[in-house]
Amino acid sequence: MTDIRDERLAGQLGELGRAQLPQRPSYWTGFARDLAESFQRWQLWWLLGYNDVRQRYRRSRVGQLWITISMGIFIVAIGPVYALLFNTELKEFLPYLTVNIVVWGFISSMINDACTAFIQADGYIRQERLPKIGFLYRILVRNFLILGHNALLIPLVFMAFGKPVGSVALLAIPGLIIVTVNCLLMALFLATICARFRDFPQIVTNVVQVAFFLTPIFWQKKQILTDYHFVVDYNPFASLLSVVSSPILGKVPTMFEYGMCLVMTLVVGLVAVPFFARFRARIVYWL
Amino acid sequence: MPAIDLVDVSVDFPIYTAQTRSIRTDLMRRIGGRIEHNAHKHTTVVQALRHVSLSLRPGDRLGLIGPNGAGKSTLLRVMSGVYEPPGGVVRIEGKVSALVDITLGFDSELSGYDNIILRSVVLGATIAQARERAPDIAEFSELGEFLTLPIRTYSAGMITRLAFAISTAVQPDILLLDEMVSAGDVHFSKKARERTLAMAESASILVLAIHDTTTLRSFCDKAAVLRSGEIADIGPIDEVLTRYEASAAA
Repeated sequence: MTDIRDERLAGQLGELGRAQLPQRPSYWTGFARDLAESFQRWQLWWLLGYNDVRQRYRRSRVGQLWITISMGIFIVAIGPVYALLFNTELKEFLPYLTVNIVVWGFISSMINDACTAFIQADGYIRQERLPKIGFLYRILVRNFLILGHNALLIPLVFMAFGKPVGSVALLAIPGLIIVTVNCLLMALFLATICARFRDFPQIVTNVVQVAFFLTPIFWQKKQILTDYHFVVDYNPFASLLSVVSSPILGKVPTMFEYGMCLVMTLVVGLVAVPFFARFRARIVYWL
Repeated sequence: MPAIDLVDVSVDFPIYTAQTRSIRTDLMRRIGGRIEHNAHKHTTVVQALRHVSLSLRPGDRLGLIGPNGAGKSTLLRVMSGVYEPPGGVVRIEGKVSALVDITLGFDSELSGYDNIILRSVVLGATIAQARERAPDIAEFSELGEFLTLPIRTYSAGMITRLAFAISTAVQPDILLLDEMVSAGDVHFSKKARERTLAMAESASILVLAIHDTTTLRSFCDKAAVLRSGEIADIGPIDEVLTRYEASAAA
């Protein structure tokens, strides 16, 4: 009974019995299993993400602190220039710029890293049976660690300019959760499509670049003509940025901004999840 | 109960070159197609497995033979769950261990010890389990003090020793081997061979893809011949090998 059957399907079916035959799992079964297994294996994503950051600064004396230093130098160098250009006071502008650039850094690097999440992990995906969603957690770990290093600058700059932080800053926490969920959903879509179409990462890099200029990171909404406020209002990135950075700067994000984030989550989720579920099993063949 | 069931499994690889992989060509292809009224598909597809059906139960020891590119490694990867075939049904039960790329996950800048943890976690252990296993792995690898050094300082043989020690630390239900793992010097090769033998013996199901028929006979009692992705012959090892060698000689 334990003999290997002939390869002929007819013989196979006869021996096993049609009723016993396993069904081909649906795309959603595969997706659910991938999701569940990626939670179970969280320690792997933690190790991989942590090593990604460590590897970049290995054998350097200062190590990961370079993340903080580089960002600090950038802000100190560019801050006064723009403060002059915009004719704003440095003690107003620098905290504003610091918070924005740190939060934007997280969003943009999540999106850019997402493009290579599967491509970069081809060795793992082709050799070992691993849940694919986990590689998105890996880039999340990586970018959270970088965000943590960069965020150190916020209290430094605030203290230097004596800018107070109110209890409204606590709203940045739910804001960060909203941003994380959105970034993960975008990453799910981008990681998959970029594995298939290798021009996509380049397209995404350029879109992120354009979004950087269209989002009030350096400039403020009040500095532009009201006719053009729609550029900020209907820019989902502006809303994502605002739900984290506004509370830190002492402002409650508007309901409109939360609404934009919710719409974004729904739209991206409704595209990304079915798309990933459909092509999940194909990814390994694309690498 | 460990089991492998493959029913009518087909695997094909779309080959995307830089040309076919870009969206531009995808768009142009559609346009081009319309002008020429030509439904010709430009993607090259390599059929790695065609309608493979197999059923393995505890006690089965299957050797896979066939020329290069016949689909042996692809079949092993279907069995390990790496490839989910676009056609057919796969059912695998039991803990599978595939000794294919045993150094996967190694980070050359990390110490040998850190790599034990990392590689074990890649293989499915938790960090705590990996720490527990580390002393045994360290002992088997015989690397001693070297484990505190980054593995970029290791020789190729030392890396293989470490990789082998980690990858064979856990006994699987189903063992998949792509060629025998050759590990280091004479002394360690012998030790590795013994361990592989012990693992193969304790494994409930063994599938081995190998060219050397002597080794094949010592491990397996059944064999399957793969040719261009199809099972050309299957049965008790002696019969299959006799036919295979006869056809190879002819």
